[in-house]
Amino acid sequence: MKRFAAAVLACASASAFAAAPPAPALDLFVRADKGNCIACHQLPDGAGPATRADVGPRLEGARMRTLGRSALRQALVDPMRANPDTVMPPFGRHRLLDAAEIDRLVEFLVALP
Amino acid sequence: MIARTSNSFRGTFIGAASAFICVFALGIANAAHEPTKSEIAARLLRQLPDVKPSDYALGSAAFDAELRTRLEENANAGADAVAAGRALWTAKFRDGRTLASCFPNGGRRIAQNYPQYDSRLKRVVTLEMAVNQCLKTHGQPLYEPADPATMGLVIAYVRSLADGQKIAVRVPPAAEAKFAEGSRLYFTRMGQRNFACASCHLQNAGRHYAEAALSPAIGQATHWPLIRGGAPVTLHARIRECLELMGAAPFAAGSEELNHLEYFLAYLSNGLPLKANAWREK
Ligand code: HEC
Ligand code: HEC
Repeated sequence: MKRFAAAVLACASASAFAAAPPAPALDLFVRADKGNCIACHQLPDGAGPATRADVGPRLEGARMRTLGRSALRQALVDPMRANPDTVMPPFGRHRLLDAAEIDRLVEFLVALP
Repeated sequence: MIARTSNSFRGTFIGAASAFICVFALGIANAAHEPTKSEIAARLLRQLPDVKPSDYALGSAAFDAELRTRLEENANAGADAVAAGRALWTAKFRDGRTLASCFPNGGRRIAQNYPQYDSRLKRVVTLEMAVNQCLKTHGQPLYEPADPATMGLVIAYVRSLADGQKIAVRVPPAAEAKFAEGSRLYFTRMGQRNFACASCHLQNAGRHYAEAALSPAIGQATHWPLIRGGAPVTLHARIRECLELMGAAPFAAGSEELNHLEYFLAYLSNGLPLKANAWREK
């Protein structure tokens, strides 16, 4: 949790210096009114709040990079295309997230440790 | 009330105040066939080999020893609600009668039989509806179906009078369509997040959604009302919270939709002992 707080602080101060800071996507990942991904997925230690969530798989950076940006974007737009029985919400198709938010989340995922 | 859509999503999304609900026909079961109780029981047995079916009614605590201890420590959390409900139950109406006088045996050992199908009304009657029918008969103002300060207290008391009785909800042939409606609602994806009740409480029973272990579909109807912060939460009030989570405009407490959902859920809990006023932290 301490490491997580430090990471958030680091993020905040880094963006204070950048001219066009990439908007942090962790908020989209944790906010109940946005992705609320954190309700189902755990993140690698330090990359976000620790939870007991295990409805979906733990999201590790290496696996995300193997899947690649295009497959990740597909999964966020409509995971039911790959698995009609999935419980993961169709964030794009149901307009829970807009295209720019999905892109930010994809970058967040491929950058995970 | 329900707009059924096909595979693809159409229309705008609900706002908090909107009565618009999107229902998706795709689910863990296709619309034509929802699993029967024995199929649900078999699936839960396979999925939760370490949990005794008699523990399903503990909800999250069936998967968490520490939470189970706290549940036991808070076994009397409903005492004040029960006492207040008893006062309402026995308070004299203007005509000298009471809620107690409307029910056989003063209301003892009746709650395990609700909801029940009333062939004259051609409706599924919940215990809350039966209470309001009594108030109406005696010219009293009705209670809001999920009001914690009136109906919730009365339900806390009457259901406590059936503690230990096995849930025994009957579905006569004439009620099958109502029952099927409840089952269909449980298995149909609804709302912006595209969940069905069964997505969480069957497909993922025992897994953690955020911090909470998801209670199994069987056992969800035994322990109402819940006691949270000292106040009773009725089954309809609790289901409405899940509908919010699903991004669906929640059906009103006391609506036919929730009556039928309750009918289905109560039937799934048949044979499990009723234990009213279960403590919940959240
Ligand atoms: C209600 C549960 C739930 C929510 C909320 C959820 N997911 Fe998922 N997610 C799953 C499940 C279950 C899977 C497994 C694959 C499947 O079901 O098709 C999955 C799979 C994934 C995968 C592929 C993982 C792999 O290793 O193949 C990614 C990436 C992913 N989710 C990201 C997200 C992101 C980002 C969000 C939020 C914007 C999110 N998920 C929200 C349940 C969820
Ligand atoms: C996205 C996940 C999700 C969906 C979909 C969902 N619920 Fe829940 N539900 C929860 C969580 C989390 C809890 C709290 C933990 C628990 O008891 O299962 C809960 C609790 C409950 C409880 C109280 C259990 C108890 O003993 O305290 C009932 C009853 C219930 N849900 C019924 C429903 C019904 C009916 C639907 C569909 C209309 C539904 N749920 C849809 C997540 C969900």
